[in-house]
Amino acid sequence: MSASGSIGGTARREPHTPESTIGRKPDYLHAESTLRSWFLTTDHKRIALLYLASITGFFVIGAVAAGVVRLALIVPNGAIMTNDTYNKAFTIHGVVMVWFFLIPSIPATFGNFLIPLMIGAKDLAFPKLNLTSWYVFMAGALFTLVSVVLGGVDTGWTFYAPLSTAFSNTWVLPALIGVTIVGFSSILTGLNFVVTIHTMRAPGMTWFKLPIFVWAHYATSLIFLLATPVITTALILLIAERAFHIGVFDPAYGGDPVLFQHLFWFYSHPAVYIMVLPGMGVISEIVPAFAQKKLFGYRFVAYASIGLASVTFFVWGHHMFVNGQSDLASLVFSALSFAVAVPSAVKVYNWTATIHKGALRLDTPMLYAMGYIGLFVLGGLTGLYLATLAINQHIHATYFVVAHFHYIMVGGTVLAFLGGLHFWWPKFTGRMYSEPWGRVSALLIFLGFNVTFFPQFILGYLGMPRRYATYPAEFQLLNVLSSAGATILAAGYLFPMLYLVYSLWFGRKAPANPWNAKGLEWETSSPPPTHNFLSPPEVPRIPYDYPIQAQESRDQHG
Amino acid sequence: MSERLADGVGVARAEHFESVAQQREAATLGIWAWLITELLLFSALFLVALITRIQHPEATVAAAKHLKFWIGATNTVVLICSSLTMSMAIEFSRMGWQRAMVRAMLATAALGGLFLVLKGYEYYADWDEHMMPFLSNRPFALAETPAARLFVNLYYVATLLHALHLFTGIALLLGMTWMAAKAGFLARHQNWIEVYGLYWHFIDLVWILAFPILYVVNR
Repeated sequence: MSASGSIGGTARREPHTPESTIGRKPDYLHAESTLRSWFLTTDHKRIALLYLASITGFFVIGAVAAGVVRLALIVPNGAIMTNDTYNKAFTIHGVVMVWFFLIPSIPATFGNFLIPLMIGAKDLAFPKLNLTSWYVFMAGALFTLVSVVLGGVDTGWTFYAPLSTAFSNTWVLPALIGVTIVGFSSILTGLNFVVTIHTMRAPGMTWFKLPIFVWAHYATSLIFLLATPVITTALILLIAERAFHIGVFDPAYGGDPVLFQHLFWFYSHPAVYIMVLPGMGVISEIVPAFAQKKLFGYRFVAYASIGLASVTFFVWGHHMFVNGQSDLASLVFSALSFAVAVPSAVKVYNWTATIHKGALRLDTPMLYAMGYIGLFVLGGLTGLYLATLAINQHIHATYFVVAHFHYIMVGGTVLAFLGGLHFWWPKFTGRMYSEPWGRVSALLIFLGFNVTFFPQFILGYLGMPRRYATYPAEFQLLNVLSSAGATILAAGYLFPMLYLVYSLWFGRKAPANPWNAKGLEWETSSPPPTHNFLSPPEVPRIPYDYPIQAQESRDQHG
Repeated sequence: MSERLADGVGVARAEHFESVAQQREAATLGIWAWLITELLLFSALFLVALITRIQHPEATVAAAKHLKFWIGATNTVVLICSSLTMSMAIEFSRMGWQRAMVRAMLATAALGGLFLVLKGYEYYADWDEHMMPFLSNRPFALAETPAARLFVNLYYVATLLHALHLFTGIALLLGMTWMAAKAGFLARHQNWIEVYGLYWHFIDLVWILAFPILYVVNR
């Protein structure tokens, strides 16, 4: 296949079968076609698609709930729905988006699909465990959704005690049990990745030839393994307190509510990096491919992934600045929180330096990646405001926080997710999507996102608290603007769902490497055969062996 | 490890692995990673129990004195013995002595069962002494000290979680013993015994941490 003819999608519109696909064995999608072969598969690529379908469903549920919240906030006096309905809507939005979309999104789909391909393995180390983790995930998620059907939960996604254990009379228990079960799925996925990356690398695939995507997933998996058990403990204690009055958090039973926050945030702060690190991995693959340039400072980006994963365990206390922890603790947590900026900035500088003087192509995945970088920088910088003790007193629990974590978690995860989805779509499905529509969707989402969330920074700074169904009338203009942005954002999300599904049947057949990208996953056919490679892949001399090399490496090699 | 295995003892290579050595390495790393997560699951509880002791020493010691020291101590011995029989099972599996291995595994399960019986008796004695603060129909014996109540509650959550692990462990062990008694098992799945052995030792280890933290400190 020629690289030039297949880039961009506008050059050739007619169906085209690449020569490499003629007369070969059926790929993983067509190897078997019964339902049984999908639901009992141990092929990591099929399991990735099972995850992709399920988390897309959860994303839609979470997005509809977000729409309800934004609808309620169009008017200041709460006239559209009752406070109770509003509380349940933002809880569904938070629970579903955080636990069932953002955390599993990139690792469970792209990680599952790509890690074995990228390291030249036939599968993950434990294929049956991989399938088990999907069933565990679905069981837990459906358990939680039962609570929504039966009447909803109004505690917010954080389940703060003692509201969740003693005062809320909604369906908290099934929601808690479901989230606890989903945690085990995370642990199993992380365990599988760690073992796979350690033991299944192809001969010659050393640690410093691994793509950053794999490094990022390695760091993420360490967080899965080291943080998730602690939230499991916290949730088990919540369940024990709510169901059997075994008091641990409720002062009425001799417990300590701040203890819950310690246990909760010891997981839930690292969880932010479970969401963001895999996204950084995706961006680190897309940027060099669309600049046709070696990733700048490869080793630093790899170290920064591990650095972020380490620092994130020591900053949970910044969620408790105004909750009665000691001033010394707050001071230490504030200083440590600033340290997060260092590895984050390393990554952003490296992407920027990679783009600099590259042969830039602004195709859909690259548009998403650049949008990601912009949103991540804004989200990261506002994080410094929140980590500053004095400013935190003013903006704590306001819409400033809401805007900040949406910039990080949605800007950082959803844009990377969509960018990755477009980048690897040809590899997943063997089909190309419509490039013009892809670009429209990327631009709409970037525009809609900023219109939705930027006004919330101002609202928060002016003093609008989060999680309230009503607000003073002078905040209405900015709230209406935010809700209008959410409409644009919803339209932006709708486009990929339509043209990607359309491409499954009518898209042009994809060549093995439509982007002229490097990495072992592009060496095999699109879609790959069942055991990933027909012949053992050849490990490249250096990672990101793109035609354009940075000035530093030219200097080094004379 | 492999050179110590007897003839006819080994592991059948799964399709996606390049070699048996790789497969063994993956299994060992996998179980260690899992055990680390399990340890963290318990360590959050133990840490809270220790902090409660440091912050409220008198109330905690008053509550800890109500725990049945001799039952806990006996159970510690019982679990250490079960670790010994499990180690013997592993050693027999390496030598290919299938019958002896099966017997050692059954002995391990029996000792695990004995632990649960003793633990059950301990809970009964607690109930009898009004040491279950979450039962509204049996007023807590140390009612005026909230920290004692927190400590005792943590004791129940930690020991119930441990008992749940032990119960699961016994069920898995019996299931595996049933499979391991069949001819040809050791030629295909010897590493299952090794991997399971690590899990059993872990259950033992958690109790060895729980016993001093809950029963012994400041006694």
